[in-house]
Amino acid sequence: MRTSIKSRVAAIVAALLMVSLSCGIIEAKTPVTITFWPSSNPQEIEFAKIIVARWNKQNPDIQVKMEPLPASRSTEEVLLAAIAAGTTPDVCANIYPGAISQYIAGKGLYPHDKLPGFYDFVYERSPKEIVDSFTYRDGHIYQIPWKANPVMLAYNVNLLRENGIDPRSLSTYSGFLKAAEKLAKDTDGDGRIDQWLYAPSTDVTWWQRFFDFYTLYIAASGGKTLLDDRGRVAFEDEAAVAVFTFLRTLFDKKLVPKGMLIGDQFLGGKVATTITGPYSIPYYDQNAPEGFKYDFMPVPVPDGHKGPVVTYGDPKNIGIFANSKHPLEAWEFVKFIMSRENDLLWLEITSQPPYRKDIVDDPMFAPYFKKNPMMSKFVVQGAYTRGVDDSKYLIEIFDAISKQYDLCCVNGRKTPKNAVRDGARDARDILAGW
Amino acid sequence: MKEAAVEERQPSYLARLRMEYRSSDKAGYIMVLPYVLHFLVFVAYPLVFAFILVFCKWDIVSPMEFVGLRNIQRLMRDTTFWTAVTNTLKFLALHIPLQIVFALLIAVVLNGPIKLRGFFRGAFFLPFVISGAVVTILWQQLYSTDAGVFNLILTKLGASPVPWLTDPSIAIYSIAVMATWKNVGFYIVLFLAGLQNVPRELYEAASIDGANRGEQFWKITMPLLRPVTLLVIMLSTIGGFGLFIEPFVMTGGGPAESTLSVVLYLYKNAFQFLKMGYAATIGFALALMIFLVTLVQRKLLDVEQPY
Repeated sequence: MRTSIKSRVAAIVAALLMVSLSCGIIEAKTPVTITFWPSSNPQEIEFAKIIVARWNKQNPDIQVKMEPLPASRSTEEVLLAAIAAGTTPDVCANIYPGAISQYIAGKGLYPHDKLPGFYDFVYERSPKEIVDSFTYRDGHIYQIPWKANPVMLAYNVNLLRENGIDPRSLSTYSGFLKAAEKLAKDTDGDGRIDQWLYAPSTDVTWWQRFFDFYTLYIAASGGKTLLDDRGRVAFEDEAAVAVFTFLRTLFDKKLVPKGMLIGDQFLGGKVATTITGPYSIPYYDQNAPEGFKYDFMPVPVPDGHKGPVVTYGDPKNIGIFANSKHPLEAWEFVKFIMSRENDLLWLEITSQPPYRKDIVDDPMFAPYFKKNPMMSKFVVQGAYTRGVDDSKYLIEIFDAISKQYDLCCVNGRKTPKNAVRDGARDARDILAGW
Repeated sequence: MKEAAVEERQPSYLARLRMEYRSSDKAGYIMVLPYVLHFLVFVAYPLVFAFILVFCKWDIVSPMEFVGLRNIQRLMRDTTFWTAVTNTLKFLALHIPLQIVFALLIAVVLNGPIKLRGFFRGAFFLPFVISGAVVTILWQQLYSTDAGVFNLILTKLGASPVPWLTDPSIAIYSIAVMATWKNVGFYIVLFLAGLQNVPRELYEAASIDGANRGEQFWKITMPLLRPVTLLVIMLSTIGGFGLFIEPFVMTGGGPAESTLSVVLYLYKNAFQFLKMGYAATIGFALALMIFLVTLVQRKLLDVEQPY
């Protein structure tokens, strides 16, 4: 009798379970969790918080956990350490293409072209040449083109006008040098020059060259980078010599300050121009003194330069990491980050142009550009940008160039021709390895 | 017979020793265990690992590759490394004498009956406890060729501005002066401790014998401060070889590599170029240099006390 009751109870429980499962009452699936590392600056964190909240609301079965990139001297150091330790996130939205070789060498990144519908999505969103420029030498794409910060020349409209300088004259080296002579003055009568047209950095840290030599070299050479398609040194040429000569002349004639200036002297009205990206717009708007008027133009080029001025694009991309257990879900999230709506949100919050085709003509973006006319200059310039070469020795090569910049331009101890020759020789030695 | 039986029951010396250890030192072992673990994890393991790296090529992410003695061979012919060594020695050549002279002079003054002695002792020690990065940024601004306070004073006095950090022949010495200002407080404390250990009777006796202040300083104070002076020299030598934060923040090793120190070069190789094997080789070369220099210093200075 007892046995028959037990059997009946068991049968009822089994039947209930079957019914529950078939009706979906018992959910067997637990939500997938994806970790997402955005850059740790306040604007990008704000953007990340908004999109993650939206995504999590819309996708209860794929939850995203946002953690800003851990503090360090650079994102690259953090990501390399994470790859070495096997603690990478699923998605990171701050991939610097110059470090991609190291990430790939550490088998850190997922070959994104293997993701379903990858090319359809990226070619629809971004210009084909931009996407193709991020193809690695093994034929795979390990990063998804996201945004660029084309570097341009910001200038103080009033300071130039007060000194009778037409901003258009700054477009060539000769015009720039003439304007620099006009503007270098002792304005307070203490016997020291305290006003300049431009203040190039004298810091020898490798990445400082992105904002003087490298940008000017890309512009002077019509869009060349340091290495050619086969990874050989390509900067031993007239354009590099012209850039070194231009910068050296500025230092030789004492038209630019040597050493550190205290505070932001561009906003302080002591330096009339600076080479910077669109991210400076919100900073200037928030911190500029009353009446301060600024504008942007392409960086100067050698006299007689023909064609559009190409500049350094300072690209940053999104990457899915190889140790992600959910690459497909991560890919869905990445597509969400790069959606048309979120690109607009991104632009509004960070003032950094996304790699999006026809953005200026897109009616959805039109109100933004109407409200922020200066941003359209960066978007237009965005079509003429170059990134950095794909080499694991890139930092060392920049370091070698920085040494020559210091010797030749800042300290006048070498001729521009010899500096370029020695920089190229050092770069070849670095590339040869040991 | 009875005595023999007792003797038989006595445990051997070794057994007694073992028993003693077991009973009395268990607590001791437990007490030292955290330090031993700390030593093994944070000192011994990294040291052994770094030594292995000397013979390897490793960029953190790729597999380690054995390269034999290639890192050492490269170090021998690496002109940048030898420039860094020369710069470090130039820095030490100015930094150590400045450190000793200023620390000793200030300590002697602060050891005497001066007004606001406590305030001055605190004031001189203050830069030592301030963050190195903060001090360095402050001095970077003071040294600025076009906008710095030092050149403003010079210009007011009718002199030409000095390119403190932008002239390759001056920059390392500018850093040495700054480092002296930053660290002198610590060495003042050492000298003060030394001065307070000099018996007053010696000065009194010398004074009765007709010795003036100068003679007392050279004949009593200096000889009795010799152990402290040796300590100061050794500590500032070891600290000076570790020169990093000042050139890293102020000059990045420039101009023209004139402020590139050995540790800054090591850092660049390890964390910028990801050449961990080569960086480890530089590290061991630096340790060897410090060992040799301090050994020579001890041989030259560690003579017997005259009193």
